[in-house]
Amino acid sequence: MRLIFKDLNILRSIIHAISTSIGGEVKGIVESAGTHLPNILDFSVFGVLWKEGPILYLVQEESCPPSFTQEVVKNVISVFSVLGERRMEVGQVTLQVEKRKLKRKQMMMDPQATLKSYLALPLAIEGEIIGCIFVHSEQPNAFDAQHLQFFSVIGYQMAATLKQFQRFSSVKKEAIYDTLTGLVNRRYFEERLSIETQKAFPASSDLSVIMVDIDHFKKVNDTYGHAGGDEVLREIASLLKNSVRKQEDMVARYGGEEFVLVLPEVSLEVASTIAERIRRSVENTPIDIGETQAHLTISLGVSSFPTHRATSKEELVKMADLALYDAKRGGRNRVCIFTGS
Amino acid sequence: MREGKEEKWSSDLIVDLYANLLMEIWGIVSALIGEAVLGFLFTLAIQKVGEKHDFLKSLKASEEGISLDEMRKDCRNIAPAEIHRGFQSLINQLTHLFSALTEGVINKELFPKVLPKVREAERMISQK
Repeated sequence: MRLIFKDLNILRSIIHAISTSIGGEVKGIVESAGTHLPNILDFSVFGVLWKEGPILYLVQEESCPPSFTQEVVKNVISVFSVLGERRMEVGQVTLQVEKRKLKRKQMMMDPQATLKSYLALPLAIEGEIIGCIFVHSEQPNAFDAQHLQFFSVIGYQMAATLKQFQRFSSVKKEAIYDTLTGLVNRRYFEERLSIETQKAFPASSDLSVIMVDIDHFKKVNDTYGHAGGDEVLREIASLLKNSVRKQEDMVARYGGEEFVLVLPEVSLEVASTIAERIRRSVENTPIDIGETQAHLTISLGVSSFPTHRATSKEELVKMADLALYDAKRGGRNRVCIFTGS
Repeated sequence: MREGKEEKWSSDLIVDLYANLLMEIWGIVSALIGEAVLGFLFTLAIQKVGEKHDFLKSLKASEEGISLDEMRKDCRNIAPAEIHRGFQSLINQLTHLFSALTEGVINKELFPKVLPKVREAERMISQK
């Protein structure tokens, strides 16, 4: 009885560790479980096959021979296919292995050890399978009904936590992204620009902003309908996104047919070159709308810190907006740089 | 007329017998792996076996348990032997899944309680 109480306390610790895993990444949850599991089960490899990817996370005994790991991977794939999932090949699965001392004190695994027993459970929540968890051992009959009970509680907690994280990230995604274009929305743009100005202003490092507006967009809607207009917005958004650095720069939908680009550590000169390149790219790319093609142009306004001496993020955006106004007034399909007027 | 009544009666009896058996499987296995996983495995097994034994498609499984209400109505006009074969395939499919996941751990707990009842159903069918 005392032994069961001890095991239940360990189980509580594992559940707590899983549900409070920092970051909400699958890897973190696997590591939390892998840290505590040896207190309750005697095993050589603990693994989670995450369906998205697919990625196989393994926490394994440090003396585990590579041949044993290979056997584990094959076993995981074979079991997963029994669960009605598509058959995977070993090469399709991304493997993330973390080696740890899982065996007691001096115990080492035999370099010739082979897989003798395992437990596997689907990570199933609300009738949907999101992955599978496993424990493997080189000992025959290493697991019994009580081990399975403990393992199932751990699996349930992992599935619930992962599902919660999945939901949270999907809500977060909706709050950040514009659903039509897939670009970040204006709210996120404001937040990110604050961060970038806080970095650039005290250090006097370059920070450029480009405002973009599609020329005669009303005509597009009138000619091709709103579905055609949406197609144009998506295509232009994609062109803009592909014209800048993926990690450092940001392209946001500012509203309607207006977009904004934030380019950290980019001088006015370079920003102007980028703006001109984007303008030409849009001018030279026919956009498919249904069975017809539309030739469109855009106008762009550029502002840059420290050249234009903006004192706030609002001012930097205002400067780019004024430059965009100049481009429109000057006949459209052009790039204008803020002139201070 | 009398034969028809007997046929219906025996179909009901077979369904009752397997309903009890499935409840028993649910009780034993859910204590080992939890309702969420078991509900998923039951659904998987029903989908697979339902391809061959159509009446099983109306058997519903979820985290809440198994519901046979809809299936009972569908079974009224099905021969007891077919019902027996369908349920037997379902139990085989479930034990196959249990075995693939936990090797002998679940089946070791299950077989001593389930097998005698499957044999009892076989005996009833053979007497008809």
